[in-house]
Amino acid sequence: MSVASTAPQPERHDPEAAAAPLGGGSSRPVPPPGAPDDHYEFHSYTVHPSGRRNVVEFVDTYKSFGPNQILRGLTMGLPEGMVSMILGPSGTGKSVCIKHMVGLLYPDSGDVLVHGESVPNMTESRLFEMRKKFGLLFQDGALFSSMNLYDNVAFPLRHHTNKSEQEIEEIVMRRLKEVGLGNARERFPNELSGGMRKRAGFARALVLGPDIVLFDEPDSGLDPVRTALLGELILEVHREMVEEAKAEGKEFLPTFAVVTHDIMSARRVADYINVLWRGRIVEAGPAEAMLNSENPFIRQFLAGDSQGPLSMD
Amino acid sequence: MIRATVDRAFAPTRGVLAEAGEMVILTGRTIVSAVRPPYAYGAELAAQFMFALRLCWLPLLIATVAFGYEAPGLQAANFLVLFGALDRLGGFFVLASIREFAPFVDAIVLAGVAGTAITADLGARRIREELDALEVLGVDPVKSLVVPRFLALMLVTGLFDIYALVFGVFGGVLATLVNNEPLGPFWATFFNNATTTDLWGSVVKTTLFGAIIAVVCCYKGMTASGGAEGVGRAVNQAVVITFLAIFAFNYVFTQVLLATHPALTTIVK
Ligand SMILES: Nc1ncnc2c1ncn2[C@@H]1O[C@H](COP(=O)(O)OP(=O)(O)OP(=O)(O)O)[C@@H](O)[C@H]1O
Ligand SMILES: [Mg+2]
Repeated sequence: MSVASTAPQPERHDPEAAAAPLGGGSSRPVPPPGAPDDHYEFHSYTVHPSGRRNVVEFVDTYKSFGPNQILRGLTMGLPEGMVSMILGPSGTGKSVCIKHMVGLLYPDSGDVLVHGESVPNMTESRLFEMRKKFGLLFQDGALFSSMNLYDNVAFPLRHHTNKSEQEIEEIVMRRLKEVGLGNARERFPNELSGGMRKRAGFARALVLGPDIVLFDEPDSGLDPVRTALLGELILEVHREMVEEAKAEGKEFLPTFAVVTHDIMSARRVADYINVLWRGRIVEAGPAEAMLNSENPFIRQFLAGDSQGPLSMD
Repeated sequence: MIRATVDRAFAPTRGVLAEAGEMVILTGRTIVSAVRPPYAYGAELAAQFMFALRLCWLPLLIATVAFGYEAPGLQAANFLVLFGALDRLGGFFVLASIREFAPFVDAIVLAGVAGTAITADLGARRIREELDALEVLGVDPVKSLVVPRFLALMLVTGLFDIYALVFGVFGGVLATLVNNEPLGPFWATFFNNATTTDLWGSVVKTTLFGAIIAVVCCYKGMTASGGAEGVGRAVNQAVVITFLAIFAFNYVFTQVLLATHPALTTIVK
């Protein structure tokens, strides 16, 4: 693993700066080595300013698995205190991207910063410490199959806090009821539907009140009504956590990132949208700016249209 | 061009070497995190110990009696009868059963029964991203999963060696009885040749077999990839690698033991 350590460059993310292509000036970033010319023609690399600092930042990150290049010069940020969406066609590397943030995968080159600290350069003990800031819902729930739902959700509390069993029960049951699993506490993961496992993973991700919450497709496998309700729940939980953080005077406001394919929930829930394609950001910015984008790829993707630059291949 | 061909031809070898290297690293990390506090793996250790015990006692009993009776028992007996020297079967059992067969049968049963269960279990957890989830929740999978399995398998394999040995010798007793011979000479030559070095050598050897089984099987499980099919592949490879590693290690261990304890090479009447 070779990690080109890139020093954090806060001035590049001046909130007052006007929307401008990344890399500065008028020159577009060069396409990744070996990419056909027309693969990046719709990547305007425009980043509409969010007015916030980024809590998680990818700096020119490359990652391949064997011959498959997944991240190909990804430069992306998650603005503090916002609910960000990471949108992109299936198989572009959204899940891979999430795993880089928590140090489960390391970039081949480039850097990933969390609160300004480089994740690939962390010592193991620092990494374990840093992960406590995160709540993560895996794409398939990733519940522990040897434990029932209650113990799954209680696991982070038992590991990282000195709370009494009674306090733990209170928190766990509140989270389980929130996602409609109050009656399923004794059930084991293999006795649940995919959607139920998702919701349980959702509860587990939130139980420690983390600074940064990453949801990998929280809505896949849910029916439309539950998807809508889940979107509302995400907003509600986020609002609550922001208020709490402000009251406690925390250094960082809670930041959520949601990977989704559901354009409706993206429209309803997102404060900020990153659109990822072919290992790079096509365009990113606050939701209104993105929904009004002129970019044909963004328009197609946010409208869920079959006509446009994106096709089956 | 030549470079590319050479690279391709040796790619599998490099893969094997890299894997072997990673297994050595895993062994090191396991030992370090086993001795470094906190020792929160006690419950899992007990559970794994009982699990291996429950899975293995019956297959091992059947395998050792049958094998002890058949291979060194019947076959060697048929051979010794030619010389009218069936009383030497006991002495032969020290060489055969204590030093070689009992440890082997022990290791093979443990690898085949408990080792594969470990690989399948950890592999499934890897595929379901449970291991990733553990790490993200700040729990080191080596400490919480590999260490208890490592210690449990060393303990169980070491203990089961004595068990295998007893039932293996029982197979020899059966073979003697089947040949209508008295047991006195069997035990006489057995105890003339048996030394405490034989016994502890055998137990130490199998304890280390247990370590090998645990490391290989945990490694293969934790690095499984490619869905359910990948888990199947991992289990298969774990068994093959374990057996090869045990054969190789057994050779080295026996050489070293015989070289350092020359008395073992003398056969006593
Ligand atoms: N550990 C890995 N080893 C090898 N290849 C991998 C690994 N993880 C991901 N990939 C590959 O990287 C690519 C991107 O995967 P990823 O799961 O990030 O896609 P995604 O954007 O999350 O797609 P989806 O929306 O379908 O979940 C895929 O082609 C996948 O095969
Ligand atoms: Mg994904």
